[in-house]
Amino acid sequence: MKKKLISTLLCAAMTASMLAGCGNGGDTNTDAPAKEDAAEDKADETVDSTEASQGSDAAASGGVSYEGELSLMHYSTSEESEGNGGSDGFRTMLKEWKDANPNVNLSENVLANDEYKTQIATLAAADDLPDVFLLQGMNTKAWAEQGLVMDLTDIINSSPYAADYKQDYFTPFKDGDGKIYGLPVLTGGTCTVVVYDKQMWKDAGYESFPATWDEVLAAKEKFSGDGVDTIAFGNSGKWQANSCFMSTIGDMFTGKDWFQSIIDKGGAAFTDQEFVDALKFTQDAFKSGVFNADFNAISNEDAREYYISGEAAAFIGGNWDVSYIMATLLEGDEEKYNNIGFATFPSVEGAKGDTNVQNIGLGYGMAINAKVAEDPEKLDAAIDLIYKLTGPDFANFVAANYALGGLTQVEDVDLSKFDSVTQDFYNWSYVDTNTCEIYDSYVSSAVWDVFNTELQDMLNGDTDPDTVAKDTQAAYEANY
Amino acid sequence: MLRSIKPKGRTIALFLCIPVIWYVFSVFVPLLTAVFYSLFEWKGGPKKTFIGLANYIDLIKDGTFWEAFSHNIYLVLACIVGQVGIAFVFVLIVNSRLVKLKGIHRTFGFFPSTISAVCIGFIWMMIYDYKRGILNWLLTVTGHEDKVRVWLNEPSLVMVLVAIPLIWQFIGYYMVILLSAISSVDAEIFEVAELDGANAFQRAIYIVLPLIKNTLLVCVTLCVAGNMKAFDHIYTMTEGGPGTSSMVMAMYGYKISFAQMNMGYGSAISVGIFIVSLIVIGGSQKLMNWLMRDKGVE
Repeated sequence: MKKKLISTLLCAAMTASMLAGCGNGGDTNTDAPAKEDAAEDKADETVDSTEASQGSDAAASGGVSYEGELSLMHYSTSEESEGNGGSDGFRTMLKEWKDANPNVNLSENVLANDEYKTQIATLAAADDLPDVFLLQGMNTKAWAEQGLVMDLTDIINSSPYAADYKQDYFTPFKDGDGKIYGLPVLTGGTCTVVVYDKQMWKDAGYESFPATWDEVLAAKEKFSGDGVDTIAFGNSGKWQANSCFMSTIGDMFTGKDWFQSIIDKGGAAFTDQEFVDALKFTQDAFKSGVFNADFNAISNEDAREYYISGEAAAFIGGNWDVSYIMATLLEGDEEKYNNIGFATFPSVEGAKGDTNVQNIGLGYGMAINAKVAEDPEKLDAAIDLIYKLTGPDFANFVAANYALGGLTQVEDVDLSKFDSVTQDFYNWSYVDTNTCEIYDSYVSSAVWDVFNTELQDMLNGDTDPDTVAKDTQAAYEANY
Repeated sequence: MLRSIKPKGRTIALFLCIPVIWYVFSVFVPLLTAVFYSLFEWKGGPKKTFIGLANYIDLIKDGTFWEAFSHNIYLVLACIVGQVGIAFVFVLIVNSRLVKLKGIHRTFGFFPSTISAVCIGFIWMMIYDYKRGILNWLLTVTGHEDKVRVWLNEPSLVMVLVAIPLIWQFIGYYMVILLSAISSVDAEIFEVAELDGANAFQRAIYIVLPLIKNTLLVCVTLCVAGNMKAFDHIYTMTEGGPGTSSMVMAMYGYKISFAQMNMGYGSAISVGIFIVSLIVIGGSQKLMNWLMRDKGVE
């Protein structure tokens, strides 16, 4: 009898644990690293102490009436936030909001960016998205069409900060009818910046980074004589050649209208001559020996080490690489740190679009699950949260602490407390350059996956620009 | 006495239920849902459009899938020869009377198979690295500068280069399996054969091989099954690149499903992988049986 009882109990326990295992959806905290939990606990503790002052410092609207759970998924992990202004700002705003709204039980699921992308895509496929999450620009149209994300157009227009929003940043989050589905979040950073060592280029006879590609080719002769690569680049992940190269080069060849027409399905095609010319130039550029020979086998993380160690005179990458290079050199080699210069890609013969361009934008927007609309109070809380995370508090925080910009315009940023390299990069990013779009913030991941794979082949010389253009166009027609 | 401690049929069934339900849930349910989803055009999200077998027609015409399939077959062949073959030779060496410290050989031989695939991938990426890799360094110091190259960026070489870490990792694994098979054979047989004048090669082919035939068959099947689902090493080292030169089926399914968010077609690919894997595994077993048919001592 006893045995039977035990066996039944055991059976029940195992079945229960099995079911619990299956039921682990996205709205639990299972994937958050232990550090997160600790940070959250800390945040919870501070809730009590600040309860008295509740509402006084709630920047968005001073406390919301909603009581209950609000799920949020993001990728600003505590590891990431160390030294990364966007993440640090995001976490700081989140903490302030939690302190001001102790009645809302904000359940966070924090993942590293790569895992975040996979998991949010899986949750979207299962129609099981959290209440509030970060939407990647290129998923906007597909998810909006599926009815997964809420139309935020009116919410954005009625935001207390609406007048200060930089309107260009909204483009990736619009559908064909101009409805907006995401409130751009984190910091705007360039995806294509030429970082160069002023001293090395001076020694080679250049006062600053050359303004034309032909001069770069000439400089290559000098550098390769010393066994130094002219420019370091890493494309093993396949996205780098798209985000950190083609996106800007393409704009230089095609001009802005062409890509806008691609976004709007206005008749432009990847097989258009201008774009094929851009591809041809890219193939020749990588064939010319200006770049390190192993560009297709190493990642951008490896390539920037070539710059840091002096094995390359310049490096092309995104703002995330710049923060790493700056942090590393500041610690290890102050002289080289002070020699950091920033440049846009040099002008190219035959390119008809803008020069002095760089692709900048906010790749992610705060989005609200369409289902939240069923509960107006919860919706208010969600709206309040996304206003806070993208509002002037955030912009001021990252401008004052990291010399970075967000969605909201900040007037008269006082940069005097930063060193000249940081000031240079701020001005380069937000003031002195023309901007263009980041290709893969738009269209569809299905198109870019095909394009990126073919592009890598093309840089190796295993396929030609016409084939890349043709196959990309086919994927574009089939998927967008 | 025995009857009194024997549990009731119902109890046994109840306990058996747990693994069976678990197995059905983790194997058959996903398989059936994949078959179901593969009949839809489904780009993620709640909306799906029924398109019948269109995904499968696309799959049959999909050059990349078959390229990936050929890479899997390449891996299977390379690993049967490399992993099981080399393991067999090592086992004979370790088992010979001349070798001391057999336990140490066994333990250290097994070590690589305990390391995670991602670490193995990173270790070998360092070996193949263009500027700092040990391979290029070795070529340079031995005066073969002309052979230095960006190894993982050579479409014609990349499959060999990703197969080497895979082979290296699992030799020890098959070594342990084969060693245990040989140790279960009566040692007198080998002694008698030696007295009769059979040399090492003859002993290996005519005595050891037939006696461990069944274990060998298991090893080959494990090897085939393992390589049909190869993913992690290659993902770490090349992500299928350059281009699609080292793309394998599982990675292609993953890319279509999660990088391109095409869940319907991704499901069709996984069903495709299931079918071709069954065919390859079944075929390899038939082939092995046929090859071993006249050497058998059942």
